[in-house]
Amino acid sequence: MTFKNSSKASLGRFLAVVAGLMVLASCGGSGNGLVPTPVTSGSNVASVVVDSGPENNFINGIYTSVEVCAPGSTSNCATVPNVLVDTGSSGLRLLSAALPSLSLPSINVSGNPLQECIQFVDLSYIWGPVAQADVHLAGETASSVPIQLISASPEYAVPTNCLSLGTGGADLNSVQALGANGILGVGNLPQDCGSLCISAANNIPAYFTCPNGDCQIASTPVADQLPNPVALFATDNNGVLISLPSVPLTGAATATGSLIFGIGTQSNNALGSAQIYAVDANDDFTTTYNGVPYSSSYIDSGSNILYFLDSATLGNIDCLDIQGIYCPNSTLNFTVTNTGTNGTSGQVNFSIANGDNLYSSGNAAFNDLAGDSGTGVSSDYVDFGIPFFLGRNVFVGIAGKTVPNGASAPNGYWAY
Amino acid sequence: MKTMLGVLLILTLGAVPARAVLGEYESSVSLDQEYLRGEIRVTAAQGYKFHQIIAPSGAIVREYVSPEGKVFGIAWQSPFIPNLQQLLGSYSTQVQQAAQSRTRRRGGPFVVRTSDFVFASGGHMRSFHGSAYVPSLLPKNVSAEVVR
Repeated sequence: MTFKNSSKASLGRFLAVVAGLMVLASCGGSGNGLVPTPVTSGSNVASVVVDSGPENNFINGIYTSVEVCAPGSTSNCATVPNVLVDTGSSGLRLLSAALPSLSLPSINVSGNPLQECIQFVDLSYIWGPVAQADVHLAGETASSVPIQLISASPEYAVPTNCLSLGTGGADLNSVQALGANGILGVGNLPQDCGSLCISAANNIPAYFTCPNGDCQIASTPVADQLPNPVALFATDNNGVLISLPSVPLTGAATATGSLIFGIGTQSNNALGSAQIYAVDANDDFTTTYNGVPYSSSYIDSGSNILYFLDSATLGNIDCLDIQGIYCPNSTLNFTVTNTGTNGTSGQVNFSIANGDNLYSSGNAAFNDLAGDSGTGVSSDYVDFGIPFFLGRNVFVGIAGKTVPNGASAPNGYWAY
Repeated sequence: MKTMLGVLLILTLGAVPARAVLGEYESSVSLDQEYLRGEIRVTAAQGYKFHQIIAPSGAIVREYVSPEGKVFGIAWQSPFIPNLQQLLGSYSTQVQQAAQSRTRRRGGPFVVRTSDFVFASGGHMRSFHGSAYVPSLLPKNVSAEVVR
């Protein structure tokens, strides 16, 4: 972890390094016949790397660096490296341990500091206060936005109505547990909750206030909720492009690429030949395999493997030693068809290799590591994690923002 | 009379478990309805029936009941993950154990299979879904695929 004062000089150096990395990334090749990584540089480009993370305990983690400052300040700032780039959520959440010398003002609702609990699909969770900060990503700024601080020793105990399991779900309150110093949520949602959390009567266990130490669900205006910070940039605010080089089927130690802000707003983020796949009200699209449609499918850079149907449906390819990971005897090739709500349909090809072999290779960036998403056709779907991103340009369109070619995508979209 | 009703009420409540509902009797469904503050609708199907609860949050929970009156499956679709301790009852400990034994964060769906319990948690922020069932409680000629 490094901390520094904000300065134009250091930003310039950072951008020069980014530009250099972009050139390197562009030489990474375009195996699998996928879209090559473009050469990009500019004030809307942040460097990303796929590797094993700050604790060397992760596979296919995608990280960038985020600078946060006290609102309006150019000196009371901290740069946090190794923040997970997550297209499956919205909002910036940082370990308070990564901001030891930075004091940020709280966001208050009805006079009480706002707290948030977020539970993830694997039943892990994040709990901590909501604070206000200026968020700097590459040359872009979101001013005075709510972010969440993740504390190892929170002021208030996590409310039990937030925890589906009561106990058992992992508390992601350390760099070891999180595998990152924070999560940068840049998904389809403009805020992490939206209108549902405006009224406590909806009983959504996300935003809380704790007067007298008793945490209760709080009616929370949209403006006080965690936004996708990209949506609040002055420009380049309609989405992001994640561009990663391809890797061999045996994996790579790291893969360096770029997180580019805006879609069709500058010469380095044009849609080009990418097709738009609009998502439904649940931010999902349909993936069809073997004639069976799986309507809850999505793309998620925060998922570090390809979650594809279930082992029994694919011919019993489970690993014997790691539950939920696939270990086919030889690498298998698949073709599926994705269909957006705007009617766009297109094929995606991918491979699934032996997970045991990949894990033991010592590499950390894989395009063919997969596991199960469900237990049968009724619960199965496809979660296109980091393996999908490697060797592609993937655009994430934010709901309600301008769509470059006028496609109908009221809930946001993917383009690739 | 009031006292008698009170006694009856206590007896009735005492007859059902404190928590619903997977693997318990159909009467426990009402506890989930209470917890979800939802409206309930019962639908009959070939060889089973299911209760559907729709909560103000938009959460939809379906509870599948065998002809013997036992809840053999649960499914949900919700903007947040519902209280699985409530819905899974004693089976939630198996999910807890599986979650605790996971050493490496994967950032994706969570599937648990034990000898007589199958569980899947899927989805992402603001759109979660999942299901759980007990294979040994499945009614004759009813596939686990109905639990969805």
